[in-house]
Amino acid sequence: MTNTFKRKLKENTRPYLYSGLSLILIFLIVVFPILYTLYISFTNMSLYHYYEFDFIGFTNYARALFNFDSGFLTSLLITLLWTLVNMVIQLVIAYFIAILLNSRNLKFGKFYKTLLMIPWAIPGYVSILLWKTGMLNYNFGLINKWFNALSIELGDLLSNSVSAFICCTIVNLWLALPYMIMIIDGALQSIDKSFYEEAEIEGCGKLRKHLSITVPLIKPIIGPAVLITTFTTFKQFDIIYLMTMTPVNTGSDVSTIITYAYENAFITSNYGYSSAVSIIIFALLIVFSALTNSDLRRKNKYGTN
Amino acid sequence: MEQIKRAKTYKDKKRVRILKTIGLEVFFIVLCIITLIPIFYALSVSFNANNSLISTDFSFFPTNFTFDNYVRLFKENDMLLWFGNSLLLAISTVVFSLAIAIPAAYAFSRMNFKGKKTILKILILLNAFPSTLSLFAIWAIMRNLGLVNTKIGLIIIYTGTMAIFGIWNLKGYFDTVPCEIEEASMIDGASNFQIITRIVMPLAKPAIIVTAVMVLIYVWNEYLYSVTFMTGSENYTLAAGLYGLQANETSGSWPIFAAASLITSLPILIIFLLVQKHMVSGLSSGGVKG
Repeated sequence: MTNTFKRKLKENTRPYLYSGLSLILIFLIVVFPILYTLYISFTNMSLYHYYEFDFIGFTNYARALFNFDSGFLTSLLITLLWTLVNMVIQLVIAYFIAILLNSRNLKFGKFYKTLLMIPWAIPGYVSILLWKTGMLNYNFGLINKWFNALSIELGDLLSNSVSAFICCTIVNLWLALPYMIMIIDGALQSIDKSFYEEAEIEGCGKLRKHLSITVPLIKPIIGPAVLITTFTTFKQFDIIYLMTMTPVNTGSDVSTIITYAYENAFITSNYGYSSAVSIIIFALLIVFSALTNSDLRRKNKYGTN
Repeated sequence: MEQIKRAKTYKDKKRVRILKTIGLEVFFIVLCIITLIPIFYALSVSFNANNSLISTDFSFFPTNFTFDNYVRLFKENDMLLWFGNSLLLAISTVVFSLAIAIPAAYAFSRMNFKGKKTILKILILLNAFPSTLSLFAIWAIMRNLGLVNTKIGLIIIYTGTMAIFGIWNLKGYFDTVPCEIEEASMIDGASNFQIITRIVMPLAKPAIIVTAVMVLIYVWNEYLYSVTFMTGSENYTLAAGLYGLQANETSGSWPIFAAASLITSLPILIIFLLVQKHMVSGLSSGGVKG
């Protein structure tokens, strides 16, 4: 009797024993920070109220969402623009390059593919800093040197918000294109070639083949990867932070919601307000992923794939 | 007549095809060069002696070849220390991550227990919180634990951050491994520990390798936490070191910074090219959505 009880107890506790250490660490590093941020978001904690902060209810949330001067809504708009611009350009260029890589006429496709993957393999912050110092620096960056040689004065590209946005987009494309090219390339290789042969017999034009065969067929395959990339682009912090905010602010303002939250915590030390912004971002991300997840699931259920 | 015409169009077609091939090859050669310009430039600057940075002339090949910048990087800066610290952090985090994620993934894949599905779902949900936004809260924890500016502190942060990925990626793979062999050996009297180390781990080798590589790359590429938490120069990682080098970019340390960047990138580049194929399969089969 006691023996079976002991064995059952052992069997019941074993899974928790096995996953316990992982779950404790996740609680410490992932769950607790979220709960702590939630707690701080209802206070006026800041540099001046570091130990003696008060509860102020939803004031921080109201300031972020309903006070246009707070800058949160502006940065949300910039983030949406940033995500849209980057994803559209990225998909178009990656599709174009992947199609050409799969061309029958190309001899050294594999070699080019390996070379084009290199930006993906370099640590992100290293690439960003290399771009910032090597390419875009006002004094010795290559781009300024080239334009100077053509006697065109560009000025400091990172000191102006619009040109800084364009520079950040170029760097993001440089970093993100290899992955997207590889995903689309993989999807293209999985297409049954007989579709094209049939279409050729039917006398289909080139554009028609892309729009009616290639795009619909690769859509479900690249869907999840595109979705993940959309989220990483939306959450992008490193590029904008390293290019325009550190070690000193370059004078431009390309704040996305994440850099906005960071700035409010670590530069202006409005911990309470920054926490409220963080929670709003978290809520947005959860809503987006819930919407897209159910969308994907519905497509998988009724779609051909 | 008809035959000649046909032969002519055939020849024309062949010529068009050759032209197309040349055009494509040229396009890709140019594309690769444009893509790699920042890296070529860093290479050229790092191996060039008298760096006339302000001048407009530029060549992809160093005009005055030297190892001087690399020597200065190791002699005048603590490159070796930074490299060692990064390596130590990366390897320790990989070992700890696997040590805690393998049994956890095994439990989530093979055992039935209360709250299993809920926990798995909550883990995915929690992963949506950008780790950048946890910086302030984790700082508060680490300060209270006295772990700021210690390697252990950073290893705990990295292991915790990658734990959800590790569990999901490994669980996804364990699910595809049939459990008949495990059941048979359980009847033969093997303990759970033996089953994991002798049967499951060898079978799940591809997924374990991919998980290890992903954790390694994550730690090697992480800069925000290592720069924020490693306040003493004896604990500087490559990221913190590079940060310091670029902070005084106007003082002309750009050639040294370029050299440091290339050395930092090299290990990951090699690993990446070695496991490139596994990365795609090992990741997509795990089915983790960030």
